[in-house]
Amino acid sequence: MNILEIKNLVKDFGGLRAVDTLSLSIEKGQILGLIGPNGAGKSTAFNCIAGVYPPTGGEIYFAGEKINRRKPWDLCKKGLARTFQIVKPFSSKSVLYNVMVGSFATTDKTAVAEEKALKVLKLLYFEDKKDERAGNLTIGERKRLEIARALATEPKILLLDEVMAGLRPAEVDEMVQIIQKLRDQGITIFVIEHIMRAIMALSDRIVVIHFGKKIAEGSPQEVASDENVIKAYLGDEYVVS
Amino acid sequence: MGSIYGLTALGLTIIFGVLKVINFAHGSLLMVGMYVAYWAIVFTGLHPYISLIIVVPVMYFFGFYLQDIVIKPIFKAEKDVREPITVIIVTTGVWYILDNLTLLIFGPQYRGIQDNPLRGKMIEFGEMMISVPKLWGFVAAVITAAAVYWFFQKTRMGRAIRATSLDREAASLMGINQFKVYNVAFGIGTATAGIAAVTLVPFYNIFPTVGVLFDIKGFIIVVLGGLGSIGGAILGGIIIGLIESIGPQFMTATWTEAIVYGLFLLVLFVKPSGLFGVKYDW
Amino acid sequence: MTRQNINRFALTLVGVVAFGLPLVLRSPTYLHILILLYLYAYFTTSWNLVGGFAGVLPLGHAAFVGIGAYTSTILSLQYGVSPWLGMIVGGILAAIAGVLIGLPTFKMRGAYFALATIAFSEGIRVMVENIDYLGPFKLNGPSGFQIPPKNIGLVNYMFIGKEPYYYIVLVMLIGVLAFTYFISRSKLGYYLNAGGEEPEAAMALGINVARAKLIAMAMSSFLTALAGTFYAQFTLYIHPKSVISLDLSFEIAFIALIGGRGSIAGPVLGALLLRPVSDFSRIYFGATLPGLHLIIFGTVLVLVMIYQPRGLQEPLTRAYNRLLDKIIGQTAQGKVRHEYS
Repeated sequence: MNILEIKNLVKDFGGLRAVDTLSLSIEKGQILGLIGPNGAGKSTAFNCIAGVYPPTGGEIYFAGEKINRRKPWDLCKKGLARTFQIVKPFSSKSVLYNVMVGSFATTDKTAVAEEKALKVLKLLYFEDKKDERAGNLTIGERKRLEIARALATEPKILLLDEVMAGLRPAEVDEMVQIIQKLRDQGITIFVIEHIMRAIMALSDRIVVIHFGKKIAEGSPQEVASDENVIKAYLGDEYVVS
Repeated sequence: MGSIYGLTALGLTIIFGVLKVINFAHGSLLMVGMYVAYWAIVFTGLHPYISLIIVVPVMYFFGFYLQDIVIKPIFKAEKDVREPITVIIVTTGVWYILDNLTLLIFGPQYRGIQDNPLRGKMIEFGEMMISVPKLWGFVAAVITAAAVYWFFQKTRMGRAIRATSLDREAASLMGINQFKVYNVAFGIGTATAGIAAVTLVPFYNIFPTVGVLFDIKGFIIVVLGGLGSIGGAILGGIIIGLIESIGPQFMTATWTEAIVYGLFLLVLFVKPSGLFGVKYDW
Repeated sequence: MTRQNINRFALTLVGVVAFGLPLVLRSPTYLHILILLYLYAYFTTSWNLVGGFAGVLPLGHAAFVGIGAYTSTILSLQYGVSPWLGMIVGGILAAIAGVLIGLPTFKMRGAYFALATIAFSEGIRVMVENIDYLGPFKLNGPSGFQIPPKNIGLVNYMFIGKEPYYYIVLVMLIGVLAFTYFISRSKLGYYLNAGGEEPEAAMALGINVARAKLIAMAMSSFLTALAGTFYAQFTLYIHPKSVISLDLSFEIAFIALIGGRGSIAGPVLGALLLRPVSDFSRIYFGATLPGLHLIIFGTVLVLVMIYQPRGLQEPLTRAYNRLLDKIIGQTAQGKVRHEYS
């Protein structure tokens, strides 16, 4: 069963078409990678799915239900959570506080929220930092906090927007492990990533977009050997930007 | 009168456009400008409008250093906030300090230029009687707006200011000194308040809280015209001025004030970006 | 003794002193000053619900004070309704008004909201000054209402001495503080803080930020209006320039900001520090140096914003904790705390 299905998604900003008739689908329990050169429209596609931007055209289905113009908070309550490429922690608050904000999505009780948040922190090996102020975290820790917060909302699908950018290699490996662990718990994962090593290791399938259009789709091996993909990354890249 | 509201609003809108901050002390700056103009005229016996050559530079540097000393530290502390609310608060503090300091020094009494050549002068304009100083106010508003527009479009500093207003981080990466730009923008905004003050002095009383009236009108106008829009500030000013001058013929003067507030709230509900505002920014 | 015990002991001590004070302090002037101090602490704490937790800057809370004061006064003078009941009606009206301002402005950036609240409260003041009758209700324009001191008694919210007022406002203050404490630890408190700090992230975490702010605004304006009734019953004289003035709105905001927005102790601390400054400078310098207290306010505000943007409560809390460390001697625990500074 496809938990998320996108049909002919279009998003225009003024005269600029950021996402162009993009179609893709994710099966439940899968990890789907979305890659493409800078400015290819990956984050825009994410923002359309997560309800930040209303799509100009096309349809988005989540668990069989059309969610085109749903608000971000509604989608979150339905089980669609996301992280931000540019991390947005609640800096003046502790890590635990940050995660509790997420866990309130499924409960009204403070005690329950705290319990859930602690569970999530434990899952991410993050407990020892729970009283640290979010503003004092390193970039790697902030990315992990993004995931922890999103996870605390108990999502069915998790949209991860470049959670490994800026991490040290050892941290990347740890993050890959974490994401696999989440998938093993039954969470579907849709991930944007620039670090090829990571996304190749993680994804069941990969979709490549360029100028908002899908240019390739398939298993990591298929995509890596695809002519269009190589051209997009090496050939056209510097001509365009 | 509308044109002077427009001039006040122009300064506000310049400062907002660049710093993304509503300068709550703007009315107080106008008040300071009026006192500067008043004393300049009284001491030197100059023609009121000639006092511009004193008032404008004084106000420019006043604004420049006000921003440099009081507001800059906050921008430095809150680097990543795009529209720091703390700055609004600080300008409010400045408003209180300026108004009450003036009260302390000059007392609460109303002052006016006694023997000035413009007082009460009217010219006939068809059926209408137009007061000469108000007419000059209109001229000054148009010229100032045009000059400011020219400055922003054509000069190097103007371009730097515009670049900073679009994205202060990117601009500072391009080698623009963000804080100098802020100082200059604040100086220009204050200087336009000085111009408004000079055009106001010949026919308006001067007292410590005179700014409050213009402050609130100024806010209304910039929101009406669209925050950050130069043309919007002048047009918004004229609209408010027209309401205030035509209104009293049909109702009591204070009622027109209520209408102005009502209009403001209406615009907020219907088109929050203002009549001429750019929507993207919000 | 543990930290918690000391805190509890200190709180109890403050409570006992506050309740016992009128027994020792017989001077009506000082009682009056204290009553105003508590009243302002109440105002700022109510303001803090939206201005502190929700991260916006309301600058028109006097409108709600006015709505509360006028509603209960009109109902009691013209319809014989007990001010206690009028107080609730006023609160509800104020909450509706608060939601109406918040509705279009909460989706926008901070400056708009600040401006809208100013325009709204000034608009209300101008209206009240101009209207003599609003439907069947007499508003009495700029001259306002003198409340005749007859029918003394609890039901009519009217007393001879100052002590009953003292206790009423004290209980109100304790109530609003307890309420704030409760909110700050509830889901709504988390949601408000999150929405105020990073609205986009908050939305992605399932928070309808605008709605949370609207709820806060409704609560804040409701509570503010309740104290408006108190003000009317205490001073027995209200007019537009006293209860709906911009100065009052600003003073409320200033006190909260200087004390520390978003914290529970901050607004009270602000009132504790600033009200006496204002009262005494008015008493001693009012004639010779008018506006001195406002210069002090402004200067303190600017300095606090530059050096302690989170208000005076932060360094004071730190000092308090250090003091506790010394008493308890738990240096290990102390070190953890110091790392924050």
